[in-house]
Amino acid sequence: MAELLIKNGIVFDPINGVKGEKMDICIKDGKVVESVSSEARVIDASGCIVMPGGVDAHTHVAGGKVNAGRLLRPEDGRKGLEPRTGVCRACSGYSVPNTFATGYRYAKMGYTFLMEPAMPPLKARHMHEELMDTPIVDKAGMPLLDNNWMTLQYAKSGDVEKLAAYIAWMINATKGYGVKIVNPGGTEAWGWRKNCGLEDPVPYFDVTPAEIIKALAEANERLSLPHSIHLHANRLGQPGNYETTLKTYDLVKGTKPSRKRQVMHATHVQFHSYGGTNWGNFESKADEIAKYVDQHEHVTIDLGAVMLGDTTTMTADGPMEYNLYLLTGRKWTNCDVELETGSGITPFLYSGKVAVNTIQWAIGMELALLVKDPWKVVLTTDHPNGGPFITYPILISLLMSRKRREEVMKEVHSVINERALLPTIERELDWYEVAVMTRGTPAKILGLHEHGKGHLGVGADADVAIYEISPEETDAGKIQKALLNAKYTIKGGEVVVKDGEVVAVPEGRTFYVDVRYEDEAVWKEMLSDLEKMFKEYYTVSLANYPVQDDYVPKPYVIKAGAAE
Amino acid sequence: MQTITLGIKEKVFEGVARVPVELDGVTPDALCGKSADEIKELKVWWGNRQEKLGDLFDVGVEGSAEKPDDVKIVCKGDFASVKRVGEGMKAGEIIVESDVGMHCGAMMSGGRILVKGNAGCWAGREMRGGELIIEGDADDYLGAAYRGEMTGMTGGRIVVKGSAGDYVGYLCSGGEIVIEGAVGILAGLGMKGGRIVIGGDAEAPGGEMTGGTLVVKGKVVDMLPSFRFEGEEEVEGVKLKKYAGDLAMGKKAKGVLYAP
Amino acid sequence: MPTVTDVVCPLCGCLCDDIRVEVEGNAVKKVRGACAVGRAKILGHGRLKSPLLREGDELKECSYEEAIKRAAEILAAARRPLLYGWSCTVCETHKVGILLAEVLGGVIDNTASVCHGPTVQAVQGVGLPTCTLGEVKNRADLVIFWGANPVEAHGNHMRRYSYLTKGWFRPEGKKDRKLVVVDVRESRTARMADIFIRVEPNKDYLVLAALRAIVNGFADVVPESVGGVPKERLVELAEMMKTAQFGIIFFGMGLTQSRYKHNNIEQAISLVRDLYAFTKFAIMPMRGHYNVTGFNQVCTWQTGFPFAVDLARGYAWYNPGETAANDVLSRKECDAALIVASDPAAHFPAECVKHLAKIPLVVIDPYPSPTTEIADVVIPSAVCGVEAEGTAYRMDKVPLRLRKLVETEFLTDEEILERLLDEVLKIKGLQ
Repeated sequence: MAELLIKNGIVFDPINGVKGEKMDICIKDGKVVESVSSEARVIDASGCIVMPGGVDAHTHVAGGKVNAGRLLRPEDGRKGLEPRTGVCRACSGYSVPNTFATGYRYAKMGYTFLMEPAMPPLKARHMHEELMDTPIVDKAGMPLLDNNWMTLQYAKSGDVEKLAAYIAWMINATKGYGVKIVNPGGTEAWGWRKNCGLEDPVPYFDVTPAEIIKALAEANERLSLPHSIHLHANRLGQPGNYETTLKTYDLVKGTKPSRKRQVMHATHVQFHSYGGTNWGNFESKADEIAKYVDQHEHVTIDLGAVMLGDTTTMTADGPMEYNLYLLTGRKWTNCDVELETGSGITPFLYSGKVAVNTIQWAIGMELALLVKDPWKVVLTTDHPNGGPFITYPILISLLMSRKRREEVMKEVHSVINERALLPTIERELDWYEVAVMTRGTPAKILGLHEHGKGHLGVGADADVAIYEISPEETDAGKIQKALLNAKYTIKGGEVVVKDGEVVAVPEGRTFYVDVRYEDEAVWKEMLSDLEKMFKEYYTVSLANYPVQDDYVPKPYVIKAGAAE
Repeated sequence: MQTITLGIKEKVFEGVARVPVELDGVTPDALCGKSADEIKELKVWWGNRQEKLGDLFDVGVEGSAEKPDDVKIVCKGDFASVKRVGEGMKAGEIIVESDVGMHCGAMMSGGRILVKGNAGCWAGREMRGGELIIEGDADDYLGAAYRGEMTGMTGGRIVVKGSAGDYVGYLCSGGEIVIEGAVGILAGLGMKGGRIVIGGDAEAPGGEMTGGTLVVKGKVVDMLPSFRFEGEEEVEGVKLKKYAGDLAMGKKAKGVLYAP
Repeated sequence: MPTVTDVVCPLCGCLCDDIRVEVEGNAVKKVRGACAVGRAKILGHGRLKSPLLREGDELKECSYEEAIKRAAEILAAARRPLLYGWSCTVCETHKVGILLAEVLGGVIDNTASVCHGPTVQAVQGVGLPTCTLGEVKNRADLVIFWGANPVEAHGNHMRRYSYLTKGWFRPEGKKDRKLVVVDVRESRTARMADIFIRVEPNKDYLVLAALRAIVNGFADVVPESVGGVPKERLVELAEMMKTAQFGIIFFGMGLTQSRYKHNNIEQAISLVRDLYAFTKFAIMPMRGHYNVTGFNQVCTWQTGFPFAVDLARGYAWYNPGETAANDVLSRKECDAALIVASDPAAHFPAECVKHLAKIPLVVIDPYPSPTTEIADVVIPSAVCGVEAEGTAYRMDKVPLRLRKLVETEFLTDEEILERLLDEVLKIKGLQ
């Protein structure tokens, strides 16, 4: 493969401690190297910012639920139509773009790795089919493992060993990356149109969400997975839920990490930082959450920031989506998945004229600005729940410019001055902090930095974003424009975006974890439980369940547990 | 005043297939002040290829105009397979002397379209303003929403001298539709506002409506079982029964249906 | 005799995956566990033997190369080609087909537009509270079939998924469930029902509207009889639905293809949604062909839209009523057609078939059919799920991988389309 030399850019590479230094990046055979020959193609990055390719740690881009969202919304589909070109396939959609648009648009923003965070195991094959059709970027998916009847039973009996064995089997069967938890217990309860609070027993299973979370965290560390548990806590979106959120974080305070990382990644925390007791006195509690995160080492968060506008909400949290539908009366899709999980989808308009939406909009940014340590925060909108990923440049420009925030705050509901904290916050992120929250932190939290992602050190994947903007630039509009259409995006050493246009569409790789559980006796007992589940309760046979290699044509396998 | 005539050429009708020509973009707003030669160079879609307008239509221009309000486009020849005539127009006038294909006047926000023959499906789809007059019949989805949207027509006026097909005013939330003849099934389906008047018969009118006013002067087939009778009233000189509904939609249903 | 177990049946939307097949000498000898129709499909029947090209009134044998070259010429020359079928083949084939449609600037549509297309349109209006079939198996205590007759159309459905099967919370199987059938005639399924409600033909929309009014607290406005059903029966049914612990409505083409088409489905879905004020409910279409669902899935993630996609301008325009196969055929809009794994000549309205016969027509299929009879180019393909592997989506959108049981001389339809695409790209100077 050709050599590349990126010359004279201002480099932000937080994992390697590079904070805006003028330096060259050498690339050969898809990797960052010490030096290149005089034959190398030179990319002049003078006057530009150079960063590792962006890593999105939580974005709903592929699988049954995302596709149900596309199918539900032809009116969203027609918003993003772009014709086929000599390089690109036809594109559609805004909040629920087709898979091709997803790959192209992320690449144009300089992102090169996506984590699909909600794979129903039974439909794992579907997610992989869509990932195969998502061009350019590397990607992975996390199976939902918290409402599974096997998990509920092992959590109830406190059998962390069997639970670990089961998780290992499921991650391998789904070619998944880590352990995703969504409204533990609540999604199973939704099978009966019920929900669960943190300490409520799950109907018929007599185990609480708190017990499920603790057991999964222990099992996750027992297997020494690259990522911690990835948790969508109970009571998402409900006024006053911040107390549940903090209690949830406390559950795993004592869990010993098996790697140098958090033991719980709490996702889309904006939706979990609410005070008040009803929609009328709804208020931000981002300060309480930020305080906790700064004082503890075991939890990391991503924002799930809200951007004003129309979007499509989707989650495995069935009851939450139904409640949202009740608020709006718009169309609503739900799909419960046998023995495992569920999902709901409904369109939503975040309006600056609505008090609650305005506070939500503020909270996402407050979290980013109030948590002092950017190594604990990942920038996300929980695409498309808080807003489509294509709004990241707007979000970043707001976080970087108090002036822009004040301009928008003048336009939105006045409640922002009473029940949100944003007006009191002066902090503006700098480029280094932005690079931390969009590259360094997500890569480290996911354990991907050990596999060449999120940094530009020698040996790293040559995934590079070059933005045509000076680090001194403070104009929010210019920041937004530069971030939306990178001057160059390089993926695996290949120039894929030039001057904001996609110029090459290599297939991305799918990352998955090959995890082994070594105690054979426990493994056999777990397998016998599993066989019974398939024989009596699943509607597919065990033999047809695991995802075949055909669905991961470009794999990158990370070994964990006894396989490591 | 600028009058532009578009006479459809024979070559559009050659062969066994009737591949539709699509005239979106050919509106008074776009043609205002342009010469015949300039108009002939405009590209339009004919199937999967773009062609010069002048290759498919004889183009004539008389007079000139400063603003689109003073532009009139006259369509001559058989336009039954020409789609999107007047789509998105904001001002001026379009006269179609024959039948017209689908999406005539779709998303129009101003100006006037007169169709002397019949109009294909989705005439006046998502109309925002202006006037659409159809002297013949209209096909299905007159003044309707696009699939998946929350609202259809929000303003303007549609008049049909003949009959109309199914789903007249689907998800209508404003404006007025008047049909002198009969309609097919579910006129005013899901309507939330605006007014629809049907001179002739209708089947299951007002299904899932939650607002607006729907008047049926002819016979109703399949009167829905989910409307509440509220007495008799005279509407436009006709004595009709007044119903509230569609109560299938629950408490939020505030639609008014008049029917014999 | 070697037995292949856990075979996925490539017949209907049930995708039963517990079939055992005995194979000997590269031939299927015995099929166990499938319904009669599924068994017949796996055992195999009369096949196209060779590629065919039309010369005057006759179809003459030719090579794959000749047939594919001719097909490419026809499609590349077309101004509005239709690419239709896709429901009896695997998703891997769909992907090539959609790319071909994009390159050609064609209209691509699958058989959903004549079966459950209305269901998709309804979902786009109101959404779809649904579940996978195992949720029904394990939880449902009220099973309703509306305009559907699984006993005859989905032979193993009740045994594997819905009514007869035992589940975690329904250990006694059918004893733990109530079965309701709503239909215009007393089908074989209706004869098994605890309650059978006969609706006058084409009155389902009215009956559903009445049920919704009752469920939403407006029983007082409902007349004494709706669509031939006495009000008291509707009140009784509404009560059953509200008090069930987990209810499910399965609906079939009796609902999608009768008067009020997609509005029947919108009302049925809305009814289920309304029932969430009281209890847990779900609704699911009884999809017919084994991978009709799969095409809708692939087409949605690749183009943004599920079927009836017009790619003339290089991007997608979706508008059933305008861009579905029957729409472009009945209005004579298309000037060439490619039919893959489907037989529209046997199922489409006469005027559509007439136009199909007039325009250049390419058919890719394992079997001779009325459609191959009127074709200009016929290209035989392998049978997916017997001679070729690939992905299919069950009616509840659970994807499974079909197996290859025997070797074949025939190309798969995926391979044929890839070659066809190559030829088209050559003609268009894109390769």
